[in-house]
Amino acid sequence: MELPAIPNRIETITAFKQNSGMIAAVLPIHYPRSLFRAFDVLPVEVWGPPGTDVSHGGAHLQPYVCSIVHNALSFLKKGGLDLADFIAVPHTCDSLQGFGSILLDFVKPKQSIFPLYLPRGNRPEDLRFLTEEFRQLYRHLSGLTGKKPSEEILLRCIRREEKADDLLRQLYEKRQKVSLSNYSFYHLVRTREYLPAETFISIAEKVLSRKGFDNPKGTAIILSGIVPEPMEVLTTITELGAAVVADDLACCGRRLYASGKSEQPFRRMAERILNAPPDPTRGNSLEERKQYLLRLADQTDARGVVFYDVKFCEPELFDLPRLRAKLKAAGLPSVQIEIDLNDPLSNQIVTRIGAFLEILG
Amino acid sequence: MEEVKALGIDVGSTTVKLTAVDAQGKLIWHHLEGADPRVEDQVDHFFNLMREHGFDGKELPMVATGYGRNLVEQAEKKVTEITCHATGVYNQLGHGGTLVDIGGQDSKVIIIGENSQVVDFAMNDKCAAGTGRFLENTAGRLRVPLDRMGVEALSAAEEVAISSTCTVFAESEIISMIAHGVEVNPILKGLHRSLILRIVAMIRSVGLVPPLMLSGGVVKNPAIREMITQELGEQVTMPEYPQLMGAYGAALIALKNSNRA
Ligand code: SF4
Repeated sequence: MELPAIPNRIETITAFKQNSGMIAAVLPIHYPRSLFRAFDVLPVEVWGPPGTDVSHGGAHLQPYVCSIVHNALSFLKKGGLDLADFIAVPHTCDSLQGFGSILLDFVKPKQSIFPLYLPRGNRPEDLRFLTEEFRQLYRHLSGLTGKKPSEEILLRCIRREEKADDLLRQLYEKRQKVSLSNYSFYHLVRTREYLPAETFISIAEKVLSRKGFDNPKGTAIILSGIVPEPMEVLTTITELGAAVVADDLACCGRRLYASGKSEQPFRRMAERILNAPPDPTRGNSLEERKQYLLRLADQTDARGVVFYDVKFCEPELFDLPRLRAKLKAAGLPSVQIEIDLNDPLSNQIVTRIGAFLEILG
Repeated sequence: MEEVKALGIDVGSTTVKLTAVDAQGKLIWHHLEGADPRVEDQVDHFFNLMREHGFDGKELPMVATGYGRNLVEQAEKKVTEITCHATGVYNQLGHGGTLVDIGGQDSKVIIIGENSQVVDFAMNDKCAAGTGRFLENTAGRLRVPLDRMGVEALSAAEEVAISSTCTVFAESEIISMIAHGVEVNPILKGLHRSLILRIVAMIRSVGLVPPLMLSGGVVKNPAIREMITQELGEQVTMPEYPQLMGAYGAALIALKNSNRA
């Protein structure tokens, strides 16, 4: 079944700006969407993008920095982010932390840069820290836009994002029944990277209201890692006879934020991020990640995990050998694939996934 | 010749292999030649060859493997080289363990279980490091025939360290050594060591499960066998036709599928 019409990034940005909104280019992974929206700023995420000529930013970065950061810097330097009014850089990993510093100290783009510090845990002090960090971001945005959205507006924006995230969760839960291919499902889910919540809500509601759902065919697998690029890999997985029934991807499943509880807006935004599924960039332990993946496999009858990681991604690759060993000991096999955002899908990758599916039988 | 019951074709990056098996899965005929980029034409030529040898390949069940497997239209099924090598070697040697296959442009380590199933595997990255191409390139530079490389390397009492596992960088390293008057055979020995260390790292990434088995065209080189034994402290075993194991495994899978049908 086809997806309803979905505007692309450029169409979305143009339409938003025409209504006198502003744009924040946001680097991966976690940040408070609702806080930006309360200032009439649309966050548009920058996961690379793939296939960028990296020569523009190469001089500032070591060769062992991941291609998400290499591409983002080159994209920025050749004007790819010119439509953005601000750039937000969460301190997700050393590479992005370095990226933020390079922008502030050397590249100095015309846009204001917001670094965003994320705690590495989920203790009461982490919640206090992140709440205060969001207050600080509010003051920063207020200074730049001259706006001072009230608590009521903030809460309204939070609830709208919560509704969008709840529909996202429903799409995930019903994905085995939603008759969308692997590719179409992720095309839809990844629009959360740039669509305003209200647009996403109307598209998701249309898809969820469809009747006559089919069950997926093929070997059920979980996709873990950062980002499913090139997206063609999802079609290849279908052709190889498998269905992605759940994911632990940084751009998708690790951001299935549950609704917050607090009526205090900054605290509620912080709760949502801190209670998201386990993520090595937020300091979750191997045991938490293992339990989460085993639970996902149990709930979806997934037979194995494909770890689809960006080469040189330190938070991911640091955990991977031990995580895979733990999963193997618990009876959940896995395979590791490393990609560079600028490479086409190689024959080796297809063979690795194919061989893994043959092992799963 | 016994009656051919199934075929396997391995379309590799440097060579294409075709094998034929009888009803018991015995390898009764094979053909190997350099890879042609026009895979379909090469497969047609293989069918002509089979006719010349008295059997019609088009009538037989066939499984294709190797990087060009999807281009073999005549094959009823495409199976990865990982599964095919494991099947072929298990049937030849009669046991599981760790199989190291070193081919022209890729190498792989496959842990084979007690029932011939693949338990885990690792493959080299997309560059030529850790593959036959690494030796081939540098052999050209040293003007040593490929089939003499291993013997020459083993004859050297000294060994120079080649720090680069990258084929291109290793070549520049060699050029500079030659310019400094270093002898050819110690360089050759160092080159083999560099390749073996890369393979050993791959074996360690999946965990060695003895016995250690070797396949692929490159393992005909005696220095590879000897150095792998030195590095891992494990004796190695090899099938009779190490280069044909992918195609043989493919033929066995085709035979099994046709018996099931
Ligand atoms: S891919 Fe990994 S290293 Fe690169 S930005 Fe993302 S988390 Fe950081």
